Amino acid sequence: MTIRRYLALTRAGIMESLQFRLGTFVTLLGNLLYIILVYFLWKAIYASAGTESVNGMTFNDTMIYLILATALFNFLEMFVVWDMSRSIQSGKIILDLLKPMGFRGYTFWSYSGSHVIMFFLTFLPTSVVVFIITKGAIPLGLNIIWFVISTVLALIVNFNIEMLVATLCLYTESTWGINIVKETIVLLLSGASIPLAFFPETLSKAVSFMPFRAVYDIPLNILLQKNGTECMSGLLPYLGFQALWAVGLTVLSMVFWNISVRKITVNGG
Amino acid sequence: MTKNKRCLSFYARIYRKILIQDLKSKMSYRADFIISTFGMVLTNIAGFMTFYILFRNFPSINGWDYYHMLFLYGFSLTALTPVQCLFDNNWNLRSMVYSGDFIKYCFRPINVFFYFISEVFDAKGLGQLAFGIGTLVYSWNRIGLPVTPLIILKLVACILTGSLFMIAIMNFAAATCFWIQGSGYVMVIMFRFKDYAKYPASIFSGIFKAVFTFVIPIAFVAYYPSLVILQPENIPLLSLLSPLLGILFFYLSYRFWMLGVRKYDFTGS
Repeated sequence: MTIRRYLALTRAGIMESLQFRLGTFVTLLGNLLYIILVYFLWKAIYASAGTESVNGMTFNDTMIYLILATALFNFLEMFVVWDMSRSIQSGKIILDLLKPMGFRGYTFWSYSGSHVIMFFLTFLPTSVVVFIITKGAIPLGLNIIWFVISTVLALIVNFNIEMLVATLCLYTESTWGINIVKETIVLLLSGASIPLAFFPETLSKAVSFMPFRAVYDIPLNILLQKNGTECMSGLLPYLGFQALWAVGLTVLSMVFWNISVRKITVNGG
Repeated sequence: MTKNKRCLSFYARIYRKILIQDLKSKMSYRADFIISTFGMVLTNIAGFMTFYILFRNFPSINGWDYYHMLFLYGFSLTALTPVQCLFDNNWNLRSMVYSGDFIKYCFRPINVFFYFISEVFDAKGLGQLAFGIGTLVYSWNRIGLPVTPLIILKLVACILTGSLFMIAIMNFAAATCFWIQGSGYVMVIMFRFKDYAKYPASIFSGIFKAVFTFVIPIAFVAYYPSLVILQPENIPLLSLLSPLLGILFFYLSYRFWMLGVRKYDFTGS
């Protein structure tokens, strides 16, 4: 019974995303141009380096990683912080709180529809193109199944980071500032803008304990079978790391939300 | 727009009045202002870290060494300040057109574009300006460029030229909302492109060199104008033409924006 309620939200989300077809097309075009920018930059960088591989990454490795990271970024992107601030300002949040479903669950499942659409529109085509161009840089095997599991965990970690930040906005009434801080930290420390392999040692050690790499770096490593993820003994610590953060952040954001929701002040509405 | 001198001073007076009102309303959200400024500084630090990590692994990019790249970086940050400080209201255009609130701008006996843009002054961009100027001064010293009144004057002119291009890009991107529903992504993607203004445009080749020079002119935001300062002995033609092209691009973006306004009038919502 409950699962049907959630799936209804997923369906509504899918239909909503399909409404803005032209916008979606423009997004795809923009992403393509962005990837071309990334391509030219790294091509020039590797041409200047004079060596085939830097820190164990060849030009192809870096490109595949960055292209898939961009696709994964689009696929996982959520606007919980913006939506929350808008519904607090307009007072709509009261209606959401009165729904016969927990607010966090409602938010999560409302987004699931756009995740489904973005998966089919960005991540899947990008991966197929990368697969064809590189003639099999993405191995096809059990790693696909592990990647799916890892991505679901990444989705949960990402959602809870968003939710924690959105809850913080209830106190500060500042959305832009908090959101930009979150975005900057996540993009830099997750390896989405520069592969983590290039980081200086102390920084990369510090980053390796943080939850951000659970969002992009780990799923990509599993998909590309890098860093020992091709065997079970290498794979399990990664998934365990993700699961630990997923559980930890879920508990944290749930507790934080439940305490903070009592403090909501809505002017009118 | 500037038919005579009286007209210009009239607009300057209005601008000052609107600006003071905006700052007053901003002051009532002091926490928001502090957090936003902090967020802005953090983005700049993160941007610099990306840059630093890149150069730790690769000593030069396309013949540009660290200090010359740093100059370009500081130049682009400074050139991006006006669009951040003065033209920030473009980000609100979409939701105002969507909700119908935009109609209020059409009922004033002054230029619609001027009135809309002057309504917001984004003070947190000043942090970026300080960061940009600091980087410029540091790299200027390290490269050993001369300091004369003439060259400073040239630098200011070049930076303003770069600004014009970025303002034009954002005007175009914002005005798409008059035609496309759900066009928020256009602005987001164009704004992400600006991160690539800090790399030498010589990395592009083929058709994309033309695309990023004339269609989405990010090459003009920092690369071409800065060559006037960095290579005074052989300035490319495009660098010399850049002020004219900047004015042209800005004018075109203004016409495009106003075309959208006229189209909006006709829907009569």
